[in-house]
Amino acid sequence: MIVKVSDNIISPLGMSTAENYAAVKEGRSELQRHDGLWGLPEPFTASLMNREAVNEMAKQKGIDDQYTFFEKMIVLSVAKALEQTSIDPASDKVLFILSTTKGNVFLLDKRETGFPAERVRLGMAAKQMTDYFHNPNAPIVVSNACISGVCAQIQAMRELESGNFDYVITVGADVQSAFIVSGFQSFKALSVDPCKPFDANRSGLNLGDASATIIFTRRDSVSENDWVAFRGAIRNDANHISGPSRTGEGSYRALRAVLGDLNPEKLAFINTHGTATLYNDEMESVAIERAGLARVPVNGLKGYYGHTMGAAGILETILSMQAIDDCNILATKGFETIGVTHPLILSNQNQPTDKRAFIKLLSGFGGCNAALLMAKGGAV
Amino acid sequence: MDELIYTLKQQIIEALNLEDMTPEDIDENASLFGEGLGLDSIDALELIVLMEKNYGIKLKDPAQGKEIFKSVAVMADFISKNRTK
Amino acid sequence: MTRHSVMITPDSVMVNGKPLAHKENGAALLTELYRTYVGDYPKFFKMDTLCKLGFVASELLLQAEGEPRFVPREDRAVILFNRNASLQADTAYQATIQDPDNFFPSPAAFVYTLPNIVTGEIAIRNKYYGETSFFVMENDDASVISRQLVNAFQDPKTLSILNGWVDCFDEDHFEAHLFILDKLPTYDILEF
Repeated sequence: MIVKVSDNIISPLGMSTAENYAAVKEGRSELQRHDGLWGLPEPFTASLMNREAVNEMAKQKGIDDQYTFFEKMIVLSVAKALEQTSIDPASDKVLFILSTTKGNVFLLDKRETGFPAERVRLGMAAKQMTDYFHNPNAPIVVSNACISGVCAQIQAMRELESGNFDYVITVGADVQSAFIVSGFQSFKALSVDPCKPFDANRSGLNLGDASATIIFTRRDSVSENDWVAFRGAIRNDANHISGPSRTGEGSYRALRAVLGDLNPEKLAFINTHGTATLYNDEMESVAIERAGLARVPVNGLKGYYGHTMGAAGILETILSMQAIDDCNILATKGFETIGVTHPLILSNQNQPTDKRAFIKLLSGFGGCNAALLMAKGGAV
Repeated sequence: MDELIYTLKQQIIEALNLEDMTPEDIDENASLFGEGLGLDSIDALELIVLMEKNYGIKLKDPAQGKEIFKSVAVMADFISKNRTK
Repeated sequence: MTRHSVMITPDSVMVNGKPLAHKENGAALLTELYRTYVGDYPKFFKMDTLCKLGFVASELLLQAEGEPRFVPREDRAVILFNRNASLQADTAYQATIQDPDNFFPSPAAFVYTLPNIVTGEIAIRNKYYGETSFFVMENDDASVISRQLVNAFQDPKTLSILNGWVDCFDEDHFEAHLFILDKLPTYDILEF
């Protein structure tokens, strides 16, 4: 079975998984309105890192200004996840997988002259990370839009099942910039207020910085406290490159693929993509209902972090594992009244649970969708 | 108005990459979305950019687009009344 | 069993190892191939160069495969690889926001600033509901690529993979090597 060995989250809510979980449980968020930031004419709401704090922490680990901010975020998160283990990251039996949508895209701005142009390549950014850890293997970079974080975990599962490696370090990150914010603004996809997933008055998404790491290994037997990555699936809507499918086609098929013949009663919750756009949340409700999962509690975490893009799939999976360890279903911050066709079970309060499995669901541009079934103790 | 309509057709063809079309191919009273030219949601967003870039018109609410982009003729009428460029 | 393949560079096209005649080179080559071998998909003209390249290459490949087209299926994955991700599209989008006095971010340009969009275009055209993935790597390393493809067959639904290297640096510098890989009873021997 594929088992989580350790994890880390670096976000505006904290530099460790524990800090992040505590903040989310308390309902905190660093989503703030920014006016005129990065020269953008339209204001936007985002959860952004305190770069000075990250730079300081990074410097202490020898991650200096030869690394871009994005590279600092990924190296630091991996370093902190490794601290909790005795894994030697320089071993050739260790593989690094990076999940990101835009990496060092800020380097395309003609005013940025501090780094060689080639660092805009995702493979180069990933190499900065593997070189720091002296790892000899070519890193895998997953760039599959916003589902990348779950895709990276699915890749890790497959690599470990094949016996190719002993450990796979999956790290997901994205750092916001004028490029990304203006792009989503051109799509009229952003809400200037804190986002409201699944709510009747939702008006779009917020954006966020984050990096998150999960280290996996393969074990023949697991203890009841081991987190098992049980099954993952990726499916396409085959409908439109940016608009979600009205029938939730890909999302439904991904759910169906990971469910197999699992009894839905075993699921504590489905942690959705829940970006708070009109179309995404509606689509997910359709997919969940089609998959026969409408009675499973549903939640979304973008009200705490905004959409962290390449980090989302990993960050939101980590928090979901923490929640179940804490017998908790995290509140969907920003949700008040249901605003999707199917009456899903959503709450803006933390709810108790004694169940030990969840599904992480994501969707992304390009019509791709991913689902990941995680089970504590592996018994589903 | 005829000149504006013709220019607008040229601008739409360019902005939306309607490669094999000429202004003569576009009926200014045909619906742009749905049956007519079959434009999609991204095209609608590009038309909003076109209005701002070429005519200085900023749409407060993108939902207004549904009414304004009914046809080239309707769009031209709106532009002639609201343009700042 | 024939293994189908397509290769496209700015000045050459090969289908199943045989050169395909063409008049144009560079960006114009892609348009020529579209008009000659496809012609019924005007969305082609909205695509960035990476998508045009992947779309045209996949059309030639699927035509060579000779199976009935546009039959919805979930058992074919589309898994592509490259070095430059969506650089050409990123550069085109950046140009719409570079100058603060001429700041008009283009949604039609922004939508292509993700390399996996080309897998989406192929899935939409062909009604492929299966897995679509995109990986970015510094080197076109056949052993790493084949490892990912073998891994993909761990999804029991996936029986064939439209796969390969589809890279684009700018409008006139690109290359595509596309294949169809079928799941064999034993797939521990892969020849590339």
